[in-house]
Amino acid sequence: MSELKPRKDLLDIESLDLSEIEYVLSNAVPFKQLFQRSVKKVPTLRGKTVLNLFYEPSTRTSSSFEVAAHRLSADVTNFTVSSSSVVKGESLLDTIETLQAMRSDYIVIRHKAAGVPGIVAQHTKASVVNAGDGFHAHPTQALLDAMTVREVFPEHQGRRVVIVGDILHSRVARSTSTLFHKLGIEVAYFGPGTLVPAERHGFLRRLMSWEEVFDWKPDVIYLLRVQLERQEGAFFPSIAEYHKMYGLNSLRLNKLRQLNSWLMHPGPVNRGVEITDEAMRYERSLISTQVENGIAVRMAVLHWLKPENGVDS
Amino acid sequence: MSVEKSRLFRGGRIASAEATEFVPEDVLVDGSGTIIARGKGFEVPADAEVIDCTGCILVPGMFDVHVHAREPGQEHKETLATCSRAALAGGVTGCVLMPDTMPPVDTGNLVKSVMDLVSEQSLIPMYQAGCLTKGREGKEMAGYSGMAARKVPMLTDADHTVPCPYLMRRCMEYAKDFGVLVTSHCDTPPLSKGGAIHEGLTSYRLGLPGIPAMSQEIGIDRDIRIAQHTAGRLHISQISTTHGLKSVQIAKEEGAAITCEVSPHHLVLTDASIRDYNTHFKFDPPLRPAADVEALVQGFIDGSIDVLASDHAPHTEFEKSSEFISAPFGAAGLETAVLLIFDRFIRRGVFGWDLLIERYSNAPRRLIGQQPAAIREGEKAEFFVFDEEGQTRISSDCMRTKGPVSPFLGETLSGQIRGTTLGSRWYPVG
Amino acid sequence: MWTAQHEQLFPLKNPQDIVVKEIFGPQEIEDGIEELAQSIIANFPDEDVVFVGLRTRGVTLAKRVAATLQKNRHTDYPVGTLDISLYRDDFGHRGREFPSLETSELPFEIDGKRVVLFDEVIYTGRTIRAALEGLIDYGRPARIELAVLVDRGLREIPIQPDYFVLRLDTTALEYVKVRFREDDVQEDSVVLESSKSELEA
Repeated sequence: MSELKPRKDLLDIESLDLSEIEYVLSNAVPFKQLFQRSVKKVPTLRGKTVLNLFYEPSTRTSSSFEVAAHRLSADVTNFTVSSSSVVKGESLLDTIETLQAMRSDYIVIRHKAAGVPGIVAQHTKASVVNAGDGFHAHPTQALLDAMTVREVFPEHQGRRVVIVGDILHSRVARSTSTLFHKLGIEVAYFGPGTLVPAERHGFLRRLMSWEEVFDWKPDVIYLLRVQLERQEGAFFPSIAEYHKMYGLNSLRLNKLRQLNSWLMHPGPVNRGVEITDEAMRYERSLISTQVENGIAVRMAVLHWLKPENGVDS
Repeated sequence: MSVEKSRLFRGGRIASAEATEFVPEDVLVDGSGTIIARGKGFEVPADAEVIDCTGCILVPGMFDVHVHAREPGQEHKETLATCSRAALAGGVTGCVLMPDTMPPVDTGNLVKSVMDLVSEQSLIPMYQAGCLTKGREGKEMAGYSGMAARKVPMLTDADHTVPCPYLMRRCMEYAKDFGVLVTSHCDTPPLSKGGAIHEGLTSYRLGLPGIPAMSQEIGIDRDIRIAQHTAGRLHISQISTTHGLKSVQIAKEEGAAITCEVSPHHLVLTDASIRDYNTHFKFDPPLRPAADVEALVQGFIDGSIDVLASDHAPHTEFEKSSEFISAPFGAAGLETAVLLIFDRFIRRGVFGWDLLIERYSNAPRRLIGQQPAAIREGEKAEFFVFDEEGQTRISSDCMRTKGPVSPFLGETLSGQIRGTTLGSRWYPVG
Repeated sequence: MWTAQHEQLFPLKNPQDIVVKEIFGPQEIEDGIEELAQSIIANFPDEDVVFVGLRTRGVTLAKRVAATLQKNRHTDYPVGTLDISLYRDDFGHRGREFPSLETSELPFEIDGKRVVLFDEVIYTGRTIRAALEGLIDYGRPARIELAVLVDRGLREIPIQPDYFVLRLDTTALEYVKVRFREDDVQEDSVVLESSKSELEA
């Protein structure tokens, strides 16, 4: 038994303390072990309901949560809302009232506006898991990334991760680097000046070229997905130039291979933009491990959070 | 209207001419609303109503040059009537109405119709400002002659800047002929577009699109240059940045006819005050970091900032209870302005009542060509009774505005406004 | 096993005065484990048997029994471990406790095998119910048996041990604690603990 404060919601990484992080990450290990069995399911959340509420389409994250909930024997309702119908008519409070009436035990929510999961959490008794809100946070992604790094490096303290790409608009970069900092993993950033926030925002280690990246000897290179619409916002002149400057091509991959660096990406990848086809087949790619660990971590999160509904109180 | 009795405000202390000290004196106001005696031991009519002011001070009524009363067009947020009640509850006895109503007030006829409504609905004098450009769209100059004939106190596109420097230049040149003050919400729309809070550590941490400080700073620099070039009179609304303030200071040293205002919330809150995506903290211009706030307080004290103005911008709780990014900017401010300045500064000895009275009562009136309100024999009664030992809990139930959204909800502030008198009427609070 | 000596020790004559009572010491536990091992192999000698211990002390008990058998009969009995936290029926009733999950390690197939489950104490039977559910998720054993060191009674579910060393009549206000030198920083013992304050209340 661990001594932890009961926690209702998982909204971001900032508010987690180390013992909570350790608790979730260590519990994720036995959950992952279940995937080796022919029966991958445990009865822990039998009779509980999980509402998967996605205001932004994301097949990957939504499926990952769905699989996690199913493997805990919870009942899952998937609710994908096209953002257009929401913006005009129903207000957020109306939505929350509807959700409360559904009496779900857990609400997994993704929304394009930062802060929405927190507002929902304040107004419902269900446990709310933030599955990504605007540019703000994606805490389960951060946890699965940490789990993945710790599997490769049981002694993870002092390991080095370079995050490459659009840091500015990335909730993954925010949550994952916050968690890595908390765990003592060193983080550096590499990308165009338009997409890497300024030093005064706490981005103390910015690498300026692939040479600097290689010289820093990163243990992991973490590529972010580049949103194609950033080109329209004048963040860089063209996709081709982005790929030329920051894309992981075979030449750069060979350097990483010599350094024994591992490759991570939160998916889905833009082949030919941040990564070439060849780099996708890199033997030290952890991309599919991340997907598998995502399910384990999400099981551990659902198992950990404590809704205010029903007999629990 | 019934004829009012005379009224004696007894036992309080009254601000001296410079408001540097408060002297124990009584004030007698006759049935017509004129102060007929001030001092001690004067004769009081037998039927005079006595207002016990023991332990309180009497402060000249405040004047707010930046108020969104929402009428006509958005009466669900606020009306002239509710706005005037909020003003009185906050010790404010006069204000300038922003023209960003629906429709925007951009013609003399619209000014007249709002002023007619004011005389019917409002408990306090209100002065309707006119638009700089038609429909506040920033495309064509509005008709200044008609609005000037209706005595608009200023021309402004309220919370819109005039995006095109060419048009802004022509507006200032043309407005000069009518002797009307031009007020600018200085901004650079391509830089602030889509932003929700100050661009900085907090915006990054919360994952919200930012509004960089330079967005206002470049706007201020541009409008100061245009004012200097055209030798026009310019008032800059809602200054919020250190560099913007520096530009104003330099322009003033160079002799330009520039004034500027700051809001109470920009003097007491920082961007780091934004918690849990509470939309009541969403302002335009946004709350800035502590270094800017310190510079603004310094500017408020040293006179680089001329005027305090609340930017009273009520919204319904429903409108504010949405995603931070899509919630409207602004909050109600008339009822909390004096209390906040007292609680955060006067009570703590940062500065005195004299400074608040200068910035929020005298200077705003001078800005639009009015005489300051003074508690003097022969003057119209226009003051409020303030209990420095009292406390006020800010809650949406107690606020008079129709849109009681405020970042200070739930706070208990030191000081209490007991009531406000305006002419022959006495409006007790609570 | 149960002796007259233990009869005398229990029930407690004056529980208010006694907080901790040692029931077994190291030698009695060693003897008990020997006895347990013999009874287990006396049954179904032809069947392929594997041991599964419940975390944490059930695992130790299983390993001790396997070691005894290795010593006496020079036969290896594989020992697996099972963490049943995810199968508990009181998940929704948890208070401030947060179960730290452990991995289950069954390094063998259990299909068609004779599985002996080990736990140090059987009480309400709910843990064993959870263990049976958990075990079945790994395969279909030919037979499942249960071996415990202490049966303290007070069952809430109709589950009984096939093998036990010690049977104690207890009340819900008492605690039976089994300590193994491998898991606890002290020598082997079985103690009965009762809280004065709880009893008085």
